[in-house]
Amino acid sequence: MAIASSPPQTFAAPARGQSVNARILRLAWRSPEMKVASALFLALCLLTLFGPFVIDASATKISVADKFLPPIFMEGGKLPHILGTDQLGRDLLLRSLIGLRNAFLIGVVSVVLMFVLGCAIGIYSGYRGGWTDVVLMRITDIQMSIPVIILAITILGMSRPNPVTIIAVLVLSGWPIYARVARSVTLAERQKEYVRAARIIGASDLRIMVRHIAPSILPPIAFVAVLDVARMMIFEAIFGFIGIGIQPPTPTFGTIIAGGTQYLLNA
Amino acid sequence: MAFALEFFLRRISQGALIVLAVAFVIFTLLRIAPGDPIRIILGPMATPSAMEETAQRLGLRDPIPVQFVRYLGDIVKGDFGNSFIRGKQGGTTGGSQDAGGSAPVDRAPVIELIAKALPYTLLLAASGFLLACLVSIPLGILAGVRNHGWPQRVALYLSSFFVSLPNVWVGIVLIYLLSARTGWLPAIGYQHIGYVIIPAIVVAVELAPVMIRSISVAVATNVQEPFYEIGQVRGLSARAMLFRHVLRNAAVPLLNSFGAQMIGMLLGGLFVVEYIFSFPGIGLLTINAVFQRDFPVIQTVAIFASTVLVFINIAVDFASTTIDRRLKF
Repeated sequence: MAIASSPPQTFAAPARGQSVNARILRLAWRSPEMKVASALFLALCLLTLFGPFVIDASATKISVADKFLPPIFMEGGKLPHILGTDQLGRDLLLRSLIGLRNAFLIGVVSVVLMFVLGCAIGIYSGYRGGWTDVVLMRITDIQMSIPVIILAITILGMSRPNPVTIIAVLVLSGWPIYARVARSVTLAERQKEYVRAARIIGASDLRIMVRHIAPSILPPIAFVAVLDVARMMIFEAIFGFIGIGIQPPTPTFGTIIAGGTQYLLNA
Repeated sequence: MAFALEFFLRRISQGALIVLAVAFVIFTLLRIAPGDPIRIILGPMATPSAMEETAQRLGLRDPIPVQFVRYLGDIVKGDFGNSFIRGKQGGTTGGSQDAGGSAPVDRAPVIELIAKALPYTLLLAASGFLLACLVSIPLGILAGVRNHGWPQRVALYLSSFFVSLPNVWVGIVLIYLLSARTGWLPAIGYQHIGYVIIPAIVVAVELAPVMIRSISVAVATNVQEPFYEIGQVRGLSARAMLFRHVLRNAAVPLLNSFGAQMIGMLLGGLFVVEYIFSFPGIGLLTINAVFQRDFPVIQTVAIFASTVLVFINIAVDFASTTIDRRLKF
């Protein structure tokens, strides 16, 4: 999402040899939001990486004696179950951390794949033009007219869902937007001086697409793609909730929520 | 007029092809995916010969292209087929039945199932969308006009907060807070209009961040353009500039993002929300149909959904050219 309305800033004179990205990062670092968000992100990363070794509990081992323990800061809570336990006595903090790790991996992998696939198709389509363009763009139209959720429940509900099929579904439904955007930028880029110059000195089409067009158009698209990781993680949670995500006993956000739902009315 | 006519003819014929392709993709996916609907229709006790007989009668053993052409032929006659599972009287008739009990005449026509569910989905969609508009239009405009003050901050924080909440989580928490804990509102199923409130809030929470974001960006870019200040220099009030000129200009990118993004999101959101709340709409019908391998229901819903998507996109493109005549081709 473009931040079209950032307040006017006084730009310090750029130090020599400093890249634009480094300057933007430094500028962003000044805002308190950036600091809080980075700290949170880092803390969660460390927790998911090391939590499972530090916390003396199991995310999948059932122990009925310990079921429905409240979090440690409420009355009746006890160590090592910092956030309490679920209906089968499994540690909730640990389950959430593993769920987060799975969701994050699925989110990152699927966005990287849909980005690469979509942009490759988009650049090719825009650069080639003609019939190639027409056919590829009609395919994107078709793909975009199948609602994600229908595609997902059809494929995942029929087969036995695992991380690979989940990623496949997300990529399949996510690539057309990248293809659209990459194509429209490529169309504008194709006319530019440097592309024509590259062609005149005899660079092959593939080389022009990969070495010249892609580096100049991809960074802004990649920026938007980062936000998509969060969207894909939410999809992963939704799939888990409906029962078409990663299957138990592996914890996911969706299955944790679904597990708690049954006991909501007695809580 | 000639422009409009040509536009619609061209786009509708393209759209029809797209819907046809979508239908074929879903049709094929269902048939090549593992999971045999016959097993679910007849139950675990059925003999292989009975299963084979039923499969033959339902035409599930023919090559997929043959099945597809036959299906299209039926659709042209207005027949979307009968559900594999659901009986005419309502309720599920799958399970331990003999082969004789599964005659297609006893099964509910898909079209009736959808007609029964559609009003609920429309009600939920309309109220969720309305609720999202009530919050995001004023907030988005305010944030766009005063883009350094508190409205911009509120809009930013609110949309960042909402966008990171999965709708399943919001749904469960709201059920707990507004229904289970306090008993203020009913939550599960549908008996009267009150049952739509909590699901609509969940749908709105999902839509609002995108709407706030796109409205404020669209308004902000227009407010920064020279025509905004020039208009005020010429004596037009800020209010008149905003409502007559800025909003009109901002409407085009908004319509585009609403068409492409929002309808897809709304549709996905509806399915999930209906599932959470056991709300008897199209989404719940479809999710149950998938788990029961009820091919005719899934196919028809997919066809209808993609038709809606295609038509909304055509309408959006037409509306943008009417609002901003520069876009005509």
